[in-house]
Amino acid sequence: MTGIILFKTALIVYFAAACIYGVSLWGKRVFPARLAAGLLFAALAVHTLSFVARWFPAGEPTVIGLYDALSIFAWVMAAVYLLLQVKTKTRVLGAFISPVVCLLMVVASIGLGGNVSAPPMLRGFLVTVHVILSVAGEALFAVASCAGLMYLIQDGLIRGKRSGKLSRFLPSLGDLDRINHLCLLWGVPLLTLGGLAGSFWARIVWGSHWQWDPKQTWTLLAWACYAFLLHQRLAIGWRGRTAARWSLAVFVILLVLLMAAMPFFGTLHRFV
Amino acid sequence: MRLVLLGMSHWTAPVEIRERLQLACGEGGPVPAELLGIPEVREGLILSTCNRVEVLARVADGETAVERLKAFIYRQGNLDAAELERCLYVHRDRDAVRHLFRVAASLDSLVMGEPQILGQVKEAYRRAADHRTTGVLLNRLVHHAFRAAKRVRTETGIAGNAVSVSYAAVELAKKIFGGLHGKTILLIGAGEMSELAARHLLRQGVGRILIANRTTARAEAMAAEFQGTAVPFDRFPETLPEVDIVIASTGAPGYVVTPEMVSAALRRRRNRLLFLIDIAVPRDIDPAAGEIDNVFLYNIDHLQEVVDTNRETRRAEAEKAEGIVAEEVAAFEAWFNALAVVPTIVALRGKMEGIVRGELEKSAHWLTGFSEEERARIEGIVDAVVNKILHDPITGLKEESLEKDELPYVAAVRRLFRL
Repeated sequence: MTGIILFKTALIVYFAAACIYGVSLWGKRVFPARLAAGLLFAALAVHTLSFVARWFPAGEPTVIGLYDALSIFAWVMAAVYLLLQVKTKTRVLGAFISPVVCLLMVVASIGLGGNVSAPPMLRGFLVTVHVILSVAGEALFAVASCAGLMYLIQDGLIRGKRSGKLSRFLPSLGDLDRINHLCLLWGVPLLTLGGLAGSFWARIVWGSHWQWDPKQTWTLLAWACYAFLLHQRLAIGWRGRTAARWSLAVFVILLVLLMAAMPFFGTLHRFV
Repeated sequence: MRLVLLGMSHWTAPVEIRERLQLACGEGGPVPAELLGIPEVREGLILSTCNRVEVLARVADGETAVERLKAFIYRQGNLDAAELERCLYVHRDRDAVRHLFRVAASLDSLVMGEPQILGQVKEAYRRAADHRTTGVLLNRLVHHAFRAAKRVRTETGIAGNAVSVSYAAVELAKKIFGGLHGKTILLIGAGEMSELAARHLLRQGVGRILIANRTTARAEAMAAEFQGTAVPFDRFPETLPEVDIVIASTGAPGYVVTPEMVSAALRRRRNRLLFLIDIAVPRDIDPAAGEIDNVFLYNIDHLQEVVDTNRETRRAEAEKAEGIVAEEVAAFEAWFNALAVVPTIVALRGKMEGIVRGELEKSAHWLTGFSEEERARIEGIVDAVVNKILHDPITGLKEESLEKDELPYVAAVRRLFRL
């Protein structure tokens, strides 16, 4: 019960932060963004407590269902952004991240208060590790694509010699590219480990590592895309505009595929 | 309030006059304490910068004080009074306050929004405070000026953008790279403009500077000055993979930097961002180079355009800033008026009110003979009489607070009515 109240509070504070970020972006003023970052931090803290409240009575971290997955997704995005904010001073990125976080929280709240006790098949350390790592990896890719979108806007402004108020307000290209680099660098290994954990667990409960379940296939595709991007970035030097474009494109394509494949997810590997 | 501000600035005085005064009123010049040698001056402050010399004083008697302060300034600059009269401006009271606020907020500067002036005002104030030539009024006034300046800085974009070509280049570089620490610049052609831009960039923490010039001696001289490295002119393309910012300013008739050179360099630098600045006329860098991904090319016209837009923005922001200054001037006046006059008015009204209530209470026993309505009418008449009597003295007090420095009426009213 406490968990739900905390979750709802976090959702409201995230929403407030997103609104103030919007004001900041609209008015191109830094001060509201500073306030919004504070709110985002508060929301993250409350959100963290909501996990504690949910998991403590169960005695172990339970991550089953859409609620948990999306909630963790939102949490990781907010946390990663705040870390980046400290490291690279890219305050305005929050205006792009926080609405996504909000949206995730809203969708997550549909499954709010759902069953806390998982079916025996989905119980265990490996399942938790699998979900947390995979979702964290995907959240990092989401941050990378937000940064990519901003990169393309800023690049267009500078290239088009329209370095006006908006350009001054957005982070520098160097910082945005660094975010892309960091997110790929951490996201790919996290998703890899998450996938491995899942596959070991699958071996135990299903008897085989791989099922060609639609969602597994989707995740494999996502993993392959981002691993490819990371490889290109490190080996060939896909930086700047190319990296931003691809990060954004891959994210959008995966999102569309996910929406399209959603109805077929009713099989083995369900969220809900 | 008897505040006067006399001075001359780049708007009113030619440099030959300003510089003589500035020399006289600078760090080694007269201390603000000398202002207090003028009998009418109660508090004083001298502001002296490259573009202005101003004296701000609280004085006892307006016109005599202004004449003596003028004489003081002429004496300092050893200048002819007739000649100076044309350059000098005199602001009084509210205008003096507004002028000081505008100066501190950099609205009166040659380059509007430049940040040094506030520091210079602070320095002038520190000097005056060291010599104990400021009192209640100037302390409050100068601090209020700081507040107005700070509001203008944070609430408007007046100082937000570059208004010189070389500084615009620096800002763009920051927008592209984030920090400039550890970046490398290459100067192709060692002209005056490129030197200026390089100086700006070095101040922002650029790590290394390479200089390629047709005249090797010039390149080496500049390399020595900036602790950079001279590169033989025909070998500069080899350095492109390791530099981040290129400033081209040769007198060559054709393109010196070709797109082929740039894309080859970009492959070798693994697509790290490259900022090309072409300040040469005719241009040195083929515009096609700017089409390449992760390469940003700005020529002199583009930079000039940035500067022009920024100037335009500053002008628009200046209007907002004037509004803030007007607000702050009003706030200061309100403070000043409240200082002495308002409490006196309140006390005076309070005393009258007390007398009226007291008398009405005393007469309460025979007033019972009247009806409710009649009693109210009698009270109304008494109140009206009191208000009419008080009207002129209160107006007088208010006027006095706006016009005069000493407040004899306030003192008189307090004494006469034993407030």
